[in-house]
Amino acid sequence: MKAVVRGERMGWTDRYALVFGTTVALLLLAPFVQDALTGLGHQADPVRAGAGLALLGFLYAGYLASARAFGPVALPAADAAWLLLSPLSRRRVLARPALVLLGVAVAGGLALGVSLLAVLGAPPGRTALLVAAALVLGVSATVGGTAVAVLAQAADPWDGWLRLGILAVVVAAVLAALLSGPAGRLAQAVPASLGAALVAACAVAAALAVRLAWARLGRIHARDLLAASTRLDRVATATTMLDPGTLTWIAEDAHWRGRALRSRRWPGLPAPLALAWHDWRRLGRRPGRLAVLLASAALPALAVRAAGGVAPVAVALVAAGALAATASCTVGARRDADDPALARLSGVAPRAALAARALLPALVGGLWLALALAGLAAADGLPGGPWWPLALPAAPALAAGALRMARRPPVDHTMPVVTTPAGPLPTGPTLWALTGADLALLGCLPTLQALLAPSTSLGPTLVAQAGTGTAVLVLYLWRARTR
Amino acid sequence: MIIQARNVTVEFGGAAVLDGVDLAAGRGEIVAVVGENGTGKSTLLRCLAGLQPPAAGEIGVLDRPPADEPGFWRDVVLVGDEPAWYPGLTVLEHLELMASVHGGSRLGAEEALESFGLAGRRDMAPPAMSTGQRQRLSLAMALLRPSRVLLLDEPERGLDAAFRARLASILTAYATAGGTVVLATHDPGLARAAGARFIVLEAA
Repeated sequence: MKAVVRGERMGWTDRYALVFGTTVALLLLAPFVQDALTGLGHQADPVRAGAGLALLGFLYAGYLASARAFGPVALPAADAAWLLLSPLSRRRVLARPALVLLGVAVAGGLALGVSLLAVLGAPPGRTALLVAAALVLGVSATVGGTAVAVLAQAADPWDGWLRLGILAVVVAAVLAALLSGPAGRLAQAVPASLGAALVAACAVAAALAVRLAWARLGRIHARDLLAASTRLDRVATATTMLDPGTLTWIAEDAHWRGRALRSRRWPGLPAPLALAWHDWRRLGRRPGRLAVLLASAALPALAVRAAGGVAPVAVALVAAGALAATASCTVGARRDADDPALARLSGVAPRAALAARALLPALVGGLWLALALAGLAAADGLPGGPWWPLALPAAPALAAGALRMARRPPVDHTMPVVTTPAGPLPTGPTLWALTGADLALLGCLPTLQALLAPSTSLGPTLVAQAGTGTAVLVLYLWRARTR
Repeated sequence: MIIQARNVTVEFGGAAVLDGVDLAAGRGEIVAVVGENGTGKSTLLRCLAGLQPPAAGEIGVLDRPPADEPGFWRDVVLVGDEPAWYPGLTVLEHLELMASVHGGSRLGAEEALESFGLAGRRDMAPPAMSTGQRQRLSLAMALLRPSRVLLLDEPERGLDAAFRARLASILTAYATAGGTVVLATHDPGLARAAGARFIVLEAA
């Protein structure tokens, strides 16, 4: 793959690896494509279609936001250092990364098109036409969006348009989520002629955007390319070193480096709470992030609507989302675990500091879970209820899991690789990934069990959840390593 | 004696980094540990902070063995070689946080900003500042909070010449007020300006 990307001459081993890798990828993707295609030949339920469209909208907005955040045009660090600041034509230097970007966009577009088909379905007799239209629409959307991201990297006005576009996609996705029935019916009722015209317009717009982006490729400022290349290099290093924690520090420092802040008085609190106040202030300084975080609690409800009932995927989304929301509020604990210099300077007893630092994650995680459970119930995914009170006793377990996650040591690459029926399993990264999630899952077991096998009587679940949630947090604080 | 280290020996992988080092520092005294790279200056400071157990020898800080626990850190301050900060806080908020957790401070936050030349950076986040300014913030946090012993590992790192002179006077004032300072340094000028007693380490 490296030879292909860098345009080097391929040996027979490179060709073998390319063919083998492509075959494996096709074999892995085949079941999903088959599932999507076997779903054709009928019209999907409009409510499910609308919810599915909303999910795809959020995914597409995430794709565009990632393209904008990571460049999208970037060079390997060595090329950036040597070739970018040379008299070579910039467009020639950037041609190869641009081609790689195009490949990624086309692959993403095909996946988007197949997903679109799976969501909307296709009435008998129009299957072939709709498959072609969905694939063209998906590829146009991702290729066009990537081209606009390249233009945005070259000139500020385009960046404004891109941000506006992302906002529009998010608003459309929110509307589709709120009005999933009408949205699904509207999408399915588009006449063939209008649909064909829209797809053609999208394809033409994408082609124009690609042409413009190619013309502007040589005008991207070296400063922006160097910044993007540095980001890419750090991401690649963190990925190859399997140390994802580094990525979050990169993003965190980059965020605050560019911000103008205004100091506010530190509240007079007992020492552990005064130390923990850092997380509260940091969260308050990112209201947009908090709003997105809380809005994301609607995703499980969307998944329930799209799947037509509570599926394991929706339960997994609830668990992962609640833990992610909780973990986003444990930066202070993570910082002190990575570099204990400030913790020593503060002189606060580690266990007291940890207990104080559990308050905010428990509050945010509990709030996210309450919203997600209320959303699931509102989407008719859960019987009886109300379900949201389960979030209160689950919150301590989420906080314990998130704190354990924040304080886990880096990946231990010296641990053995175990051969399993599914292939070799590197135990170091696996254990690293499970650290924290294990405790949260254990502590939230009654709630998860109730979600997988919903019942109208929640009293016993509430009592069991209160017991496990409190016990997990207390045991974690008692047993946590303090240095 | 506030700090008493006798015959301290530290080995890494069988190779001696410190071999029978002695160090004593009394109340109000500043001791500068100097020597070439690799002679064990930072290791000696880590031993005094209880972060590196010696293979042999005895260490006492404030009449007890040093230990990495809150009671010890309420009296002793260690400023390491890399500045540390919390993301999302300004310079002033870092200083106020330190004063708040200790329930009082040797200096007011505004006074510390002036003393350490950070008044113009009060609302900046540390990642937006230069290495030298971040070092000033680390030193300001260390000297703002109450303490009896100050352990500084190359405090001059990233600092300009003018501020090094000011740092020397700040350390002298700290010692005059009864504090004890041990600093590992490559800047004999800073140590001399602070009136420090020198201890020269040589490769073990």
